[in-house]
Amino acid sequence: MTLSKLSLRNAKRQAGDYLVYFVTVVMAAGLLYSFNGLAFSQEIQELSEKMDTLPIIIVLASIAVVCVFGWLVSYATGFMLSRRSRELGTYILIGLTNQQVARLFFLENLSVGGAALALGLVLGGFLYQFLRAILFAMFGLPYHFSLAFSVPAAGLTLFYFALIYLHALRKSRKRIQRMKIYDLIYFEKQNEGMIIQKGNSRRLVFAVSLVLGMAGTVLLMLGELMTGIIGSGCLIAALFGYFLSFASGVPAFFDKYPAQKYRGQNLLIFRTLSAKLSTMGIIMAIISMIFTATIITEGSGLMFNGLFRGRSAENACFDLYFAIEGEDQDPSPYLDYIAEYIPVEQSVLYQVYLTDSPTVRDYIESQTVYYYYNYDQDPILRWSDYAALRSIAGYPTVEPEPGRYLIHCMTYLEEPLRNYDQPITLGSITLSPGSVCTERLSQSFGVANGRGYILVVPDEAVDGLAVHHLAYAAKTSQPVPAAQYDALTDIAATEYNKQENPANYALVSTKANEDAQVAVQTAIFVFPLFYLALALTMTAATILTIQQLSETERYRRQFVLLRKLGMARREMAQALSRQFTVYYVMPAVPPVLIAAPIIFHLTRVPEPGVMVGMSSPLVIVAISLGLFFLIYSIYILLAYTSLKRNVLPQ
Amino acid sequence: MLQVQNIEKYYGSKNNVTCALNRVSFDVEAKEFLAIMGASGSGKTTLLNCISTIDSISAGKILLDGVNIADLSEEELAGFRRKRLGFVFQDFNLLDTLTIEENIGLALSLNHTNPKTVQNLVQDVAQKLGITDILSRFPYQVSGGQKQRAACARAMVAGQSLLLADEPTGALDSKASKNLLEIMSAMNQDMGATIIMVTHDAYSASYAKRVLFLKDGRVFNELLRGERGRPVFYHEILDVLAALGGDVSDVI
Repeated sequence: MTLSKLSLRNAKRQAGDYLVYFVTVVMAAGLLYSFNGLAFSQEIQELSEKMDTLPIIIVLASIAVVCVFGWLVSYATGFMLSRRSRELGTYILIGLTNQQVARLFFLENLSVGGAALALGLVLGGFLYQFLRAILFAMFGLPYHFSLAFSVPAAGLTLFYFALIYLHALRKSRKRIQRMKIYDLIYFEKQNEGMIIQKGNSRRLVFAVSLVLGMAGTVLLMLGELMTGIIGSGCLIAALFGYFLSFASGVPAFFDKYPAQKYRGQNLLIFRTLSAKLSTMGIIMAIISMIFTATIITEGSGLMFNGLFRGRSAENACFDLYFAIEGEDQDPSPYLDYIAEYIPVEQSVLYQVYLTDSPTVRDYIESQTVYYYYNYDQDPILRWSDYAALRSIAGYPTVEPEPGRYLIHCMTYLEEPLRNYDQPITLGSITLSPGSVCTERLSQSFGVANGRGYILVVPDEAVDGLAVHHLAYAAKTSQPVPAAQYDALTDIAATEYNKQENPANYALVSTKANEDAQVAVQTAIFVFPLFYLALALTMTAATILTIQQLSETERYRRQFVLLRKLGMARREMAQALSRQFTVYYVMPAVPPVLIAAPIIFHLTRVPEPGVMVGMSSPLVIVAISLGLFFLIYSIYILLAYTSLKRNVLPQ
Repeated sequence: MLQVQNIEKYYGSKNNVTCALNRVSFDVEAKEFLAIMGASGSGKTTLLNCISTIDSISAGKILLDGVNIADLSEEELAGFRRKRLGFVFQDFNLLDTLTIEENIGLALSLNHTNPKTVQNLVQDVAQKLGITDILSRFPYQVSGGQKQRAACARAMVAGQSLLLADEPTGALDSKASKNLLEIMSAMNQDMGATIIMVTHDAYSASYAKRVLFLKDGRVFNELLRGERGRPVFYHEILDVLAALGGDVSDVI
């Protein structure tokens, strides 16, 4: 048998023993390849000219992901090296040199990495198709499955893998070369030991870590750079303090309350936990940090997704819209172009008026702190124009209410405006409050149908009112192509520059352009964030799982003994699941407590009216936690079923 | 063959130093079967580890055929272990992924010995140790006694002249222990192997030609079997253990 044959055989065993780790490395290769595929795909970049920044963003995200997976491979390799030290010592004992053993270890890890890479490329091919399908759907294009292999994407994935493995194996090689045969043969387990010994120090560290955790969260929520840096530092210190003092605290707690020790399965569960924590307190703190980063990254991804979609949905309710600020504006350059190039099914050219005083705005400001205004008075729309706009947008008809005014507003203002009961007087006409409608009506910018709200009045009531801007909305036969949108914005720029003292602002928006923008922004901001979040969760969960599964033999012996002591199988299964629950919940609790308020704060930063419905703060917090726990629970389930099968006596 | 000269071994840091071996000296002749006995913590395993180059000594010399093993480079040490030393541990130290045959032949094949020669040597030593029928099995498929015989075969297959055994019968039942000890005697007498065996079991030690007793890191006593029968030698060993005082229950 040659060294390489032995390496191959060991590699096979290693892949079997550390299946969860192997699967994660395969997934890592798949993820890297699929995102590289996006970066190198000509077809994806041609979806929009703004997609040209995608490759650089993906490369930057991949560097972060490579660092995360690099740490995982380095940790797992070191862990396996420790676990196999006696075996490696035996090789030296039968006459191999340290270099030969290092080479053996190198070869077998390289085989595992190579196999994972090969499988990962296949998986990555499918993942790439999945991402491609999502992008095509976002751009509103038909998707056809076509499995293609991208050589540059595979090459870059190979390069990343080479970096990851060479770094990990260089470290292992150094370690093996430094190792003394005695250390290998008699290496059992290098415990961290109890870092904080004294009870008083422990209590102090525990209390300080809780205070630091809260302070860090608040500082991060302030959103300033300096407070953010200090806040992050506080959180890191808090997590380390928490895990190191907790591990030392369990035995002390039992010493103080011996009755608790013997209650139910406490002794078994918490002694096992404290033994585990005392050997991996630092790694638990790091895992907790990773989980915190994961949840915040997922929350940020969802926040950006909601922000882009929310802004776009408000502006994309008309196929084509343009507006020119000021009275007596001439829309003919726009209309001429539209008449010539854009087939229109239905359109309306109208004006947005202003009342004499901002009565409704003042009321809104007294009710909510989240209102940003663009008008000095309340905006007004004629009923006939409003009816046309509703028809163009495809909304159901609203019957006119004689003697009343209707308020059309964004959903976040619905509640205060439903309670508004004051009449308005326009010239000689006084109107009392009527219905409130909340469909999207392009109400989030200055030259729009109001800022957040608009008052809809009978046509005759606008006589004599000042005009704020002229607007045009249309339903087109087909989505307006990017070139025509560009032509219209060019007209707006030309007209603006024609003014002696440029002051009157013009705006053009199309549904197709808004949708494309969302797609581009999602691809550039949201995809990389989820890419990173997935890598972080997988890495931390894998480390927890290989740590847990490496204890299989110890657990098995423990349960054989417990059975001899008279414990029923049902009780053993219960104890095992409780040990499991506590072990996996421990590192997830601080991240949830830290990340949830931060995400909640983040989602309230954008302008009002955008983060609503599925993008409202509480929903985003819930989805972020849900996504995190979904992936986490897959690992927990894998580890639990494997351990239960192998350790509980039949 | 082997000269151990005034060796000392200290463990720990400067505030807490433990002396495991204190000026230990003795010689081992070629084809000798030496047992080292002593209570737990007397330094017997440390002594064996130092001879086997698993551990380093703090002072003194260990000469094998006149060569100080502390002067050997890593490369030379590897060669020394490969060609001259064979190890047998209490817990066998066989590799789970390899069959018994592969475990025995591993060291030879890794050093590019002709495959045919490896096969022949493995078959030969397996026959001598009575394990031919289990060669194709994996370690978990055979008994403890068979595993230990496989470990002995691995220790002797390359023609190693010095067999170092650390509590070889520690994990075996009495029948398997007896069987292994008889095999080791045969390896010593028929195959000319020099054996140093660490044990706390007087019965195992009675198979040796000489027994060295360690106490607190020093050589406390030495017994030669001479022409006496094994049962007589066994009782003499028990007498010395009794003389060690208070430790008899620890060592029997």
